[in-house]
Amino acid sequence: MQFLLPILHSSVTIMTPLLLAAMGGLFTELSGMLNIALEGLLLMGAFCGIIFTYFTGSMVLGVLLGILCTMLLSAILAAVTLNLRSNVFITGLATNLFASGLTVVLSFKLFGNKGVVVFDSIPSLPVLRIPALAQIPVFGDIFIGHSAFIYLSWLLLAVCYVVLYKTPFGFRLRAAGLHQKALSSLGMDPNRYRFIAFLISGFTCGLGGALLTLNLGAFVPNITAGKGWIALVVIFLGNKKPLGLLIAAVVFGFADAFSNYAQGALNVPADFILAIPYVFTLLAMLGFSIYSKSKDSFES
Amino acid sequence: MIDLRRRERKSLMVMMRSSIGPLLIVAIALVGVVILSLLLSKTPGKTLRYFFLGPIQNTYYFGNMLNGAIPLIFGGLGISLAMRSGNFNLGGEGQIYSGALVATLCAIALAPLGIAGAVIALIAGAAMGGFLGGLSGFFRMKWNTSELITSFLISNAVVLLVNYLIAGPFMDPSTNLIATRKIPEAFRLARILEPSNLSSALFLAITAVIVVQWYLYKTKSGYELRISGLNSSFARYGGIHTNWYMVLPMMLSGALYGLGGGIAIYGTYYSCMKDFSGGMGWNGLAVALIAKYKPAAVIPAAIFFAYIEAGARNAMLHSDVTFEIASIVQSLVFFLVTSAVLQSVGQKKRGH
Repeated sequence: MQFLLPILHSSVTIMTPLLLAAMGGLFTELSGMLNIALEGLLLMGAFCGIIFTYFTGSMVLGVLLGILCTMLLSAILAAVTLNLRSNVFITGLATNLFASGLTVVLSFKLFGNKGVVVFDSIPSLPVLRIPALAQIPVFGDIFIGHSAFIYLSWLLLAVCYVVLYKTPFGFRLRAAGLHQKALSSLGMDPNRYRFIAFLISGFTCGLGGALLTLNLGAFVPNITAGKGWIALVVIFLGNKKPLGLLIAAVVFGFADAFSNYAQGALNVPADFILAIPYVFTLLAMLGFSIYSKSKDSFES
Repeated sequence: MIDLRRRERKSLMVMMRSSIGPLLIVAIALVGVVILSLLLSKTPGKTLRYFFLGPIQNTYYFGNMLNGAIPLIFGGLGISLAMRSGNFNLGGEGQIYSGALVATLCAIALAPLGIAGAVIALIAGAAMGGFLGGLSGFFRMKWNTSELITSFLISNAVVLLVNYLIAGPFMDPSTNLIATRKIPEAFRLARILEPSNLSSALFLAITAVIVVQWYLYKTKSGYELRISGLNSSFARYGGIHTNWYMVLPMMLSGALYGLGGGIAIYGTYYSCMKDFSGGMGWNGLAVALIAKYKPAAVIPAAIFFAYIEAGARNAMLHSDVTFEIASIVQSLVFFLVTSAVLQSVGQKKRGH
């Protein structure tokens, strides 16, 4: 049991970027757009978050500027998809390709290095101690000693729920996905809500990506390593509900933390460890579609 | 007679009009190159010269550029087949890489069989790619799992597995490269434009284009495939086994990728090196999109993409930019290539 605690603790750290990306993806998904660009947006956030922190010397300012850049990229994605009427899947792919190219090109231009860039001078993430959480029996240790951003992301999940289910904006955004003709017959433009949904996913991915690099104090090319794709699966497995997202993110976070542990403890080749998220995602997708298929045939 | 000529002229006009969209996208991509060079390079003039003229400055670079187009032709054909049937194959990266590994290993093992061994090894590589593609098609048929996502996920896992196999059990200990042993000399395709790498694989690629064109437009199966892609309910009512056309096109698509991987080994690399095919799968997809899934148009589209890659490589060697500007330019193409607005430029509006 004792070896589980550090794994659980690090799975909270690992799941947070996943949860953030999935939250943003939930907005685009509910507005009727399959957003596979989460991966590229996360990468953009990861790169911009740390370089702006490095250049401005302030973590808050750096993260904010990083979020802004990521939102800019998501705005381009939205404009090309909605205004130029392109296939959202291909433009999402373009965003991923663009982010992976741009981060390497800029890192070469700024630091003369295409590999890992370590930033020694930047401060580490501020750790928040919430005494109330420590009171929780047995599991208390898992929830304390995380960075302020992690608690912020839990707060954002609540905001996300309220916005989607308790505000007119949320109703209209979901209507854009459910029945866009109903929305346009009321004189509202579904694409406007989709555009905003893309911007929101830019916001959450910008924050989530920044957490990845700031946690490490370095930028590693392709640091996201499939996290955006897993976020997409988190959305599906979470049944497109905020609470479901949290549960699915916890499961994936734990799987990831466990595979990190396995790599050290069980001497498994690194390539296999890297493949785990994809295999896990694939199995989850298959399981999910087998389940919905059997439910469909049962109902009909 | 006159009527025939008029009709010919009309079809030429239609062809020209429908190529305005793709040409516009190519032009925007090239403008992108200029802007990137101005922003990133301290010597933009030099960078641009190497980018645009580098690939055609002599036989060596020109042949290498054409050689780079060969795997993209196979990939572009594979994607076109899948797309025509209404299936997305995003597993090209894994299919080409694993196809190349299987072909290499079989070629080494079957060396005593001579030419028959070479052919069997290529087929084995194609079968490997076909299996991976077909798996996604099977999942879609059986459980309605999106083949677009499963093919991508399978491919990502397979790339890592192949990496492990190349660096582990099948690594050639006698070199410093992370690569398998080399295929027998007798299996290697002849060079046709010394001193460049261009090999007779070019003819195989052109043959593949002709075969796919023939299959799509002249065979019953090709017809059924296209109808299933255009309107699957109509196809089903017409008695076509649409389920089969979820699996078969994905299999053929993967097989073409796998074959492209094997042929790249036979023609250029001779051993399966780690990451040698990185990016080829995605570029195959872009090529098919620009070519609008028409087999004959895959050739110029593949050459365009190979030109961008060769240009970026040249600019990297002789100037101060990195190779990854190629992926930025390619992403520009991806951003614009499916745009209904850009495609409609120059085309008459259809009445409703």
